[in-house]
Amino acid sequence: MTNREKLKDLLMDVFLIEPSEFRFDMMRDEIESWDSLGVVSMALGIQETFGYHMKPEEAVAIKGFQQIIEILESKGIKFDE
Amino acid sequence: MYILYENEVKRSIEKLDQAWESLETFLFLSDRSGLTQEWLNHTLAQIPMEFKENHFILLTSGSTGRPKLVVGLRDRAEKLASTLHSVQESEPVRETIVLLPLTYCYAFVNQWLWARVNGRKLILTDGFGKPDNVYSALKNAQDCMVCAVGPLITLFQNHFSDDVSFPGVKRLHFAGGMFPQTRMNIVRKYFPNARIYNNYGCAEAMPRLTVRNAEESIEAANIGKPIPGVQMKSSENGEILFRSDYQAVALYDDRGLFAPGDEDWVPTGDFGELIEGGYWRIKGRTNEVFKRYGEKISLPQLLESVSEVWTGQAVFYRERDPSGEEGHVLVLAPEVNREQVNALLQMFRKLYPRTHWPLRLESVVTIPLLHNGKTDYGTLAIMQDKIMHWRQRL
Repeated sequence: MTNREKLKDLLMDVFLIEPSEFRFDMMRDEIESWDSLGVVSMALGIQETFGYHMKPEEAVAIKGFQQIIEILESKGIKFDE
Repeated sequence: MYILYENEVKRSIEKLDQAWESLETFLFLSDRSGLTQEWLNHTLAQIPMEFKENHFILLTSGSTGRPKLVVGLRDRAEKLASTLHSVQESEPVRETIVLLPLTYCYAFVNQWLWARVNGRKLILTDGFGKPDNVYSALKNAQDCMVCAVGPLITLFQNHFSDDVSFPGVKRLHFAGGMFPQTRMNIVRKYFPNARIYNNYGCAEAMPRLTVRNAEESIEAANIGKPIPGVQMKSSENGEILFRSDYQAVALYDDRGLFAPGDEDWVPTGDFGELIEGGYWRIKGRTNEVFKRYGEKISLPQLLESVSEVWTGQAVFYRERDPSGEEGHVLVLAPEVNREQVNALLQMFRKLYPRTHWPLRLESVVTIPLLHNGKTDYGTLAIMQDKIMHWRQRL
């Protein structure tokens, strides 16, 4: 499983997004389940899946899924497989 | 004062009649009550002289799991048995089959005492500990009344094939938890000729407060109207309080004695409200409604939503999340597939904020039950063979 697939599975699981509606360019405003507890859940999921501990202010500032990829890539986690 | 054990009564039901007819107060106790002799001695020693004659005592653990002795006055209980006969339209009933432990207040008053007061036949079984005996008793039933709790429906399904029915059962009562409204099609298949009732009460009421014929509402939470001799109201925080001609005269637990006066309002431990037509709607046990991150969570309400998309059994048990906030775990039985899990999760997403979502969604082959047929939440919480299908990462 590629990192992109792992991230997709994680985000669908955290925000309860159906496979048919998921897009990597989805923004926070489009996802009603992206609330404050969702941010915590997402950050813990990223740590579990990719080993990167996201700081709270970093997690809160994320506006869309693409930004998560950018953050993880900046930490050396590859998404161009 | 003495203890009469359930096993003695199973061997000879006359022992219970003798106890009822003798002056001395007795405690009617399950052989597997889990109480130590020390606890019993200590608690019984606190019972004052005024209750040592003409009373009876039953044990309840209530929703808290804390053992509690409930003291009833025999005259009051007999009056209740007469009232129940009338409001439950029991005149055509000739016998009653006991599926629940007789030490359970509901079975004790609604069946044993009812049969005694109204001159009906009492048929004891060992419940689903011996399903063959249950089957033959129900098959041979004639103009019979049965008292059940919701989880027994699953035991019927587990033990009896789809083509089995018990036409001799004419009255079927449910109590001890939410009325199984969404499973009425199954119940009616087994009991095609039964008039079905939702009974509501609590051990403190010894035990009945309301009754509703199943047809009077499609809402499981509708517990019906107070029976004659019972008054109900809501407290300021929404808890149901009652006064009853039949209520227990005293309650003992490890906090001591509570002896309500006739004019006192007694809490039922449930939230509820009076609705149109004089009916009462229950909103859940006071311990089933709680705040999570400031949001009010009602587990009965969540269960109603779950039942819209899941037809099997579903229960919640309580658990704190790692940040110390109260939360809840949803357990399904018997088995669940990925599609069903997704349907449930999408229901939560559409109808509720994340605070209301369960911490985890789990399944078990069988929901563990207490000896009185109610869900054993303690065991459920620590069972090792639960399958986890989804979790919030909190």
